[in-house]
Amino acid sequence: MKISTKGRYGLEALVDLAIHSSEGCVSLKSISERCGISEAYILQIFLILRRAGIVESVRGAQGGYMLAKSPSEITVGDVLTSLEGPLAPVACCTSTNENPLCERYGKCATVGFWKNVMKTLNEVADSITINDLVEYYRNNFFNKDYEIDYYI
Amino acid sequence: MKFSTKGRYGLRAMVDLAVNAKGEHVALCSIAERQGISTNYLEQVFSILRKSGLVKSVKGAQGGYILAEPPSDIKVGRILRALEGPLSVIDEKTENSNGSETGIEYCIKLCVWDKMNQALNDLADSVTLEDLVDNYRKLVGIDETMYYI
Repeated sequence: MKISTKGRYGLEALVDLAIHSSEGCVSLKSISERCGISEAYILQIFLILRRAGIVESVRGAQGGYMLAKSPSEITVGDVLTSLEGPLAPVACCTSTNENPLCERYGKCATVGFWKNVMKTLNEVADSITINDLVEYYRNNFFNKDYEIDYYI
Repeated sequence: MKFSTKGRYGLRAMVDLAVNAKGEHVALCSIAERQGISTNYLEQVFSILRKSGLVKSVKGAQGGYILAEPPSDIKVGRILRALEGPLSVIDEKTENSNGSETGIEYCIKLCVWDKMNQALNDLADSVTLEDLVDNYRKLVGIDETMYYI
């Protein structure tokens, strides 16, 4: 059960955008350089995120992208489902009685389990916001370049 | 995001085996027919299950397979891990594990992927084969206790 590179790189690029948002809008080129992801791929990803209302684009020479909402209002679930579709471990998870995606739907022993898997994964993804990731990054990975000098 | 057919079909086949065993071994081709899975594919799957100690095989013309342990002792997580390897929402092979991953990548791994994987494993280990059998019986209306007057 795999989240594709679109979801993984998309999440990484979005967190990078959020971290650098205080500087105004952020260019795809800078995100590409920092994250080591091709600019073309990030563009594909950000077009989807823009349509999903997660980022906004700013045109012009000093243009780029910015978050469309505050990072605490964007969940990991929002990002992954807009890039990957439903987090369904098997396609038939999204079946309903009115719209069964599999002829075995009414007599399948395991679809209930898979639906629980999907529900659990969605709950975890929806419980984490982009802000949580930014905070974690800042607290644990941010290079503190300054030094404190003590003089007697 | 999808589990492979090995895990999905293997789980269904194990439930089918548990439902239809009634103390005796079950022929692979009967499972294949009921579940709509090719016998050849099921052979591959059951070979792995047998090596993992989940099923035992009985050779010969009237041969087949039987669960190696009671269904209440077999967790779904164990079946899936035997067939799929460690349960993970991302493809571990394409991850950068040579230290060249960015701080953000690592942060996402700790805060998102590891959390999702843990929840996935916890859920899979909280459900037994017997639970799935019970659900199936309720679903198709098999009542094990039949009363006659």
